[in-house]
Amino acid sequence: MTDIINLTINGKQIKAPAGMTVLEAAQKEEIYIPTLCHHKSLDPEGTCRLCIVEVSGSIRDSIRVSCIQEVKEGLVVETDTKRINNNRKLILELLLGRAPEAQSLIKLAAKYGVTKSRFLTGESNDCILCGRCVRVCRDKIGMHALCFVNRGPQRKLTTDFERLSEYCIGCGACTNVCPTGAIRMEDKGDQRKIFTWDQVTAKFTLERCTHCGKPFAPKRYLELINQKVYIPKGLEYVDYVCPDCFSGHDKVSDRRREMALMKSTVKWSVPRG
Amino acid sequence: MKTENNDSIVISVCTGTGGVASGGYKVIDAFKEELAKINCTAKIGPRTHKVGCRGFCAKDVLVDVEVNGEIETYQHVTEEKARKIVASHILDKEPVKKWMVKEDYHNFNDKQQKLVLADCGKINPESIDEYIAQNGYKNVKKAMSMGPENIIETIKKAGLRGRGGGGFPAGIKWESCRNASGNPKYVLCNADEGDPGAFMDRSIVEGHPHLMIEGMIIGAIAIGSTEGYVYIRAEYPLAVDRLRLALDQAREHNFLGKNIFGSDLSFDIKIILGAGAFVCGESTALMTSIEDNPGEPRPKYVHTTDKGLWGKPSNLNNVETWANVPIIIEKGADWYSSIGTEKSKGTKIFSLVGKINNTGLVEVPMGIKLREIIYDIGGGIPKKKAFKAVQTGGPSGGCLPASYLDKPVDYESLYEAGSMMGSGGMVVLDEDTCMVDVSKYFLDFCKDEGCGQCTPCREGVAQMVRVLEEITEGKGTLEHLDLLEELAAMIQDTSLCALGTSAPNPVLSTLQYFREEYEAHVVDKKCPAGICKALTIFTIDEDLCTGCTVCARNCPADAITGAKKEPHFINQDKCTTCRVCYDSCKFGAVKKG
Repeated sequence: MTDIINLTINGKQIKAPAGMTVLEAAQKEEIYIPTLCHHKSLDPEGTCRLCIVEVSGSIRDSIRVSCIQEVKEGLVVETDTKRINNNRKLILELLLGRAPEAQSLIKLAAKYGVTKSRFLTGESNDCILCGRCVRVCRDKIGMHALCFVNRGPQRKLTTDFERLSEYCIGCGACTNVCPTGAIRMEDKGDQRKIFTWDQVTAKFTLERCTHCGKPFAPKRYLELINQKVYIPKGLEYVDYVCPDCFSGHDKVSDRRREMALMKSTVKWSVPRG
Repeated sequence: MKTENNDSIVISVCTGTGGVASGGYKVIDAFKEELAKINCTAKIGPRTHKVGCRGFCAKDVLVDVEVNGEIETYQHVTEEKARKIVASHILDKEPVKKWMVKEDYHNFNDKQQKLVLADCGKINPESIDEYIAQNGYKNVKKAMSMGPENIIETIKKAGLRGRGGGGFPAGIKWESCRNASGNPKYVLCNADEGDPGAFMDRSIVEGHPHLMIEGMIIGAIAIGSTEGYVYIRAEYPLAVDRLRLALDQAREHNFLGKNIFGSDLSFDIKIILGAGAFVCGESTALMTSIEDNPGEPRPKYVHTTDKGLWGKPSNLNNVETWANVPIIIEKGADWYSSIGTEKSKGTKIFSLVGKINNTGLVEVPMGIKLREIIYDIGGGIPKKKAFKAVQTGGPSGGCLPASYLDKPVDYESLYEAGSMMGSGGMVVLDEDTCMVDVSKYFLDFCKDEGCGQCTPCREGVAQMVRVLEEITEGKGTLEHLDLLEELAAMIQDTSLCALGTSAPNPVLSTLQYFREEYEAHVVDKKCPAGICKALTIFTIDEDLCTGCTVCARNCPADAITGAKKEPHFINQDKCTTCRVCYDSCKFGAVKKG
């Protein structure tokens, strides 16, 4: 049994299991803390610094990021002080200077009364360098197709040697977690392209569904699933079936449906690297 | 020819980086050649050997000639001078007075108190035997007999604090690492010194690597570690070579490896070469870099003594801290803690650079006054110019004005003054320095050297640099100063690592002590020091100009006209404000404004 920790957030007494972060504990109590680089299915990296809170009590009075700071007995957290909000405003304004057209950022900034930025950098894309895409590809998919290069303000999201990625499987997880739409996936006919910062960083020819004939997924992607998902003998893929044909359609055999079911219950366990 | 009646002849040639750059190796060869030529013999020697940096790099190549125990030091020695020194000093027993070090060399050394650097410049860094002859590595045996708890207690009692900048008490760090659960435990040495103008750790590794290694072994015994790493930058090739050699020698003597000193303890040290990222001096970034990942700090709120390298308890100290350890073990905590101030014990090494006469490496007791370092040891400001500020603590330190010259140098005083001890860089600035330009320089360094992970440091520092650029270009307003303070406060509050939180220090300290200079830039549109080109014009004072034509001849833009012995005139349309006329005029006739 995990220990239950008592802490205070914005004056409210809260109980949370040990190991939980302050952000999770606050969300559990429906206390809003803004986030950008945080994603519930990814390990926190604490880099956007929006989820800062003031802490005191059982640790030294300081400002900490709530997505990393774990709950602690006697911890006193303030999420909405003047100091915190001033810092958040400035951080949002700085990010808006980098990505002035990113819709989700514009919305969040507006919430804090920031409607325009004094810090335009002239970047022409929506990336705020939060690193969610890098983390999902590295930690969840296990391919590490995306990475950051350069230091300081020159930091840039790209693929190995800035070439078409040899590791990308075209799964599109990066586009799903991107908070601003700086990474896009585009399917045209049987061609899939992934755009990072408006540059094509991966290209694929899509395999056709053996049932309906519609192009639906890159071969590398399907192969990875075959390789990573545990499939009992006799149930291996012999052909590729698109999600539409999977979903209980009459044309699909029972064996296929059984597999689809299994796929949804099997957890991805992907070793790093 | 043959010399007679000599008991000993020892010639020590400085081969620190400064010595090598000034031709130290050639000087050694010249001495050896010449001594062989005259077929010189003595009961001890003649021995010509390499020694490490002795601090006064401005006088390199420095050579000690010891004949029968009497040591004379020569400065600026060249191959030619070396040959003549052999002929005159060794053969004819007549030291060459005119090439010997002068009063300034003695002044430079008099107020120093050398503990860590005591042997640096005396013994050959490439020979473990010379160190062993000086009781080297004996302190490891002493430490072994003391036992881990006693070692830690001694270090705590001595009051040794981390010399890398943070000033965290080393004994407490060791204790928490020892008590942390997890195995193996790592002993790490930070030799990734990256501050502009700093060469303290480099000089120790180049001049006396065994002292640091001995310290690490003692640390390993205290902490219970079997593996150590030295993270050293690849740009220090001489230091890397000498460290590698020293480690090999220590292994040969069974000071490192399995069952060291015949005990049941094992400890070995590996070298990791850093690729030169300033941020890798930050403890967690250094560890991720050793782990073969990009050197980026971790945002975790966990002490590295609990979870550091590969998630294991790790104790990181820098070169100077480790090098202090054998001295404390040898001479005892009471002796050590008698040096320094109440909270800062022992000595600190500074690299004294910038606008200072005696550029070099100095080791002084904590609590010494800045004035003593700059005027007594450093010999004051060249060309009799006025002192303006001293920048301590590296790029993320602060600039202290003349009113701080009589304050003691220790961790607390520097921190209270808005600067910090840092690893010991000390850049002296004179009246011709523009403080806005200086803070722009240091901030620009931090901007490029930040890892780029977190928003405040990546975007915020870059914006502060942009604001400072606008000020130096004459586009600044008073609002620019407010914006600088606003950004600085946010960056200090919210950055991920210490590089970010300390990056605004140069701007904040100059805004605090030299605000009028910023205001001159934004309100009067003038750069008082005449550095910011857009805000400076040079004119010639007709009454002072003698018409010597020096300025006109030196002007690269042909902007100065005037007949010989007649007052000259600067054509402002052509002038590029390069300052050459100002610096070359001997009569002070060129005015900046």
